[in-house]
Amino acid sequence: MATAEIVAMLLTWTPFLALGFAWNILISLVAMAIGTVLGAVLARLRLSSRKPLAHASLVVTELTRNIPTFVFLFYLAFLIPAELEVAGNLYAVPAWLKASLALSVAVIGFVSDNLLVALRHQQSRNHAAALLFIPSWTSYLVTIVMASSTASVIGVGEIVSRCNIVIAAVGGDETMLWVYTYAISYFLLFCFPLNWAMGYARRRLLARIGTATP
Amino acid sequence: MSRVKFCTACLLALMAIFAGREAFADRLDLIQKRGILIAGVKSDYPPFGMLDGNARLIGFEPDLAAEIARRLGVRLQLVAVSSTNRLQKLDEGAIDLVVATLADTPQRRQIATLVEPSYYASGATVVTSPHSRLSSWADLRGKKVCATQGAYFNRAMAQRFLLDLQVFNGTRDTGLALRDGRCVAWLYDDTGIVGVLGDPEWARFETPLPSMMVSPWAIALASTEQGSRFEHAVSEAIADWHRSGWLIESEQRWGIKPNHFLTDMRELWTRLQPDGSPLCARQSNDKWPVECRNKFLLSSADVDGMQRFGLLLKEQAGLDLAIIHDAYDRQLFLHGLWVTLQLMVACIAGSLAVGCLGALVAESGIPLLSGLVRISAALGRMTPPLLLIYLVFFGIGRIIVSRFGWTFDGAAIAIFCLSTYTGCAIVSALLDAVAVLKEQEAGFSLRRRNLSQALRLAYAPVVASLVNVVKATAMASVIGVPELVSAATAIVAEQGNPAVMMNVLMITYFLLVMAIVQIFNFLERRMLQSGNR
Repeated sequence: MATAEIVAMLLTWTPFLALGFAWNILISLVAMAIGTVLGAVLARLRLSSRKPLAHASLVVTELTRNIPTFVFLFYLAFLIPAELEVAGNLYAVPAWLKASLALSVAVIGFVSDNLLVALRHQQSRNHAAALLFIPSWTSYLVTIVMASSTASVIGVGEIVSRCNIVIAAVGGDETMLWVYTYAISYFLLFCFPLNWAMGYARRRLLARIGTATP
Repeated sequence: MSRVKFCTACLLALMAIFAGREAFADRLDLIQKRGILIAGVKSDYPPFGMLDGNARLIGFEPDLAAEIARRLGVRLQLVAVSSTNRLQKLDEGAIDLVVATLADTPQRRQIATLVEPSYYASGATVVTSPHSRLSSWADLRGKKVCATQGAYFNRAMAQRFLLDLQVFNGTRDTGLALRDGRCVAWLYDDTGIVGVLGDPEWARFETPLPSMMVSPWAIALASTEQGSRFEHAVSEAIADWHRSGWLIESEQRWGIKPNHFLTDMRELWTRLQPDGSPLCARQSNDKWPVECRNKFLLSSADVDGMQRFGLLLKEQAGLDLAIIHDAYDRQLFLHGLWVTLQLMVACIAGSLAVGCLGALVAESGIPLLSGLVRISAALGRMTPPLLLIYLVFFGIGRIIVSRFGWTFDGAAIAIFCLSTYTGCAIVSALLDAVAVLKEQEAGFSLRRRNLSQALRLAYAPVVASLVNVVKATAMASVIGVPELVSAATAIVAEQGNPAVMMNVLMITYFLLVMAIVQIFNFLERRMLQSGNR
């Protein structure tokens, strides 16, 4: 395949693949939202003065850390029905939501651990250190966006699934190499600026902590 | 160990919540309430089910689904399904019926309602390159044969001819595996092969062996639809198609080579009894007469003692533990466990090797190379491992095969990709540790002798990365590595016991990850002790 041909092929399919990547981001944001809310509850409970409650919360956090999200994805795909009937109404449970739920398990553990540290800093009035949670959270979003590519294995129409559709439609031996490389560039372009910005934010915050407590 | 027990209890409670299901009494009510019939058809099986230029599903089978929707007076929605997920999607209620090249077998009758009469028939055959010189099925004994996951004959053919089956997801992956030389033949459906061999890329390939296990195709409904009005309506539609010859017209319309099955069925369903009434008419019990049913399925399946025990467990306790009572499944699962353990150990070792080597080179001060490694490590962390596996296995693997004729093992590629991804994370953890050490002692530089010092400081993030790679080994299943997830999904595809198998899979993985975390905790304690001494 000539270079011009490859570029033309990738350009033709760009809107299709870009929409797939938008799905990756949506799945990740929903996973972060669910995971953050539940993780925050766990972190708050771990600070509880009631020992059994704090202990149980720690155990649940450890449980979420031991669950492999890739396997959990299959688990939810097989075991959550596609349509739930609640009070006479049908509610669809789309595959992408199952992917978000599977990914959110990892987020719960992350938020529970990191927010706990932030809350402790907050209690000791170390606000800058507590703010370190924000760059950590955003970096974790990047990790989840990368993990969201696994949603393709349960048939979610995100970027990797769409790559396979493009490859099947275009055919040819070299197509795969270019389409997959192109998809990887989406992840790089999304992750690199975010990682860089968060690295910068972290350094600024650490500098503030350094000057506040000499 | 009370915490471990509590963990397990929490997990079991979670599973109990997800195991609950809800369903309508008769699917027909749901379909009419919705106004849409959702049918699962193939998208990669021309001309039975395929995508047209506008990515719409068309073919012989979508036409059948459309005809059923028209008869029910509802709109039609087509959903692409694969051999692996069609019965799963049906079972979970995502689709109302499956018209997707599904062969009628006694096993499948246990997990779905297969509507009679059948609408088509096919058998198993193999595709090989012209130089294979195969003359009989026995020539394939012990040879690597690629197969598509979920095909009804995989297991029986593997048992009957002692094939070393390499199971892949979907037609594309299996076809590529044959062309890449990962196996000597591709075990596939004789009807499916026609669509594949029509492609000029496959012109040199041939089907030298006679078809085996010829089997009728059935439209499938959920197992709960047995005897429902929905089943009745679909059954009536198919009977009418045989009587009117509509299926034969449809076959011609799609340019399919005429199948004897359809002409035989046409003759059977239009045959009259001596008194002038049709032979194939519903009896008083609403069943078709014995002459008009799939004969080989009428005889009861041969069950031995072990299988009877397993079925008893299934009937009495609702537990379909195929991996205990079924020797084939047990062996499949144990082999998967063994492969997963090997993958886990290899990925831990590989990640550490890549991480340490990368950090040493990055700190070596060699101009250009150090910078290159730093940039690669940063980029490597931002590449999704699943995409990396696809890129190396299909993208690069394909080009290497066509240029040099070398093929690589799927497991080796998975280990390479996962180790690279995790290794990049370890490089950055080690470099962070080195930065701290440099602040503590001026003139510190990372060398082989003080590598353990940096590793000790970076212990927590390094272990976190290693635990992540252990969890990620399941990704190897996407390229046909026969590990635990592959084994579990293959068993579910054969047995239709997702609830049991998925729970077994989750618990197994959970225990594996927990064991590895415990080992790392133990090593950390040992390290602290030796550090104190």
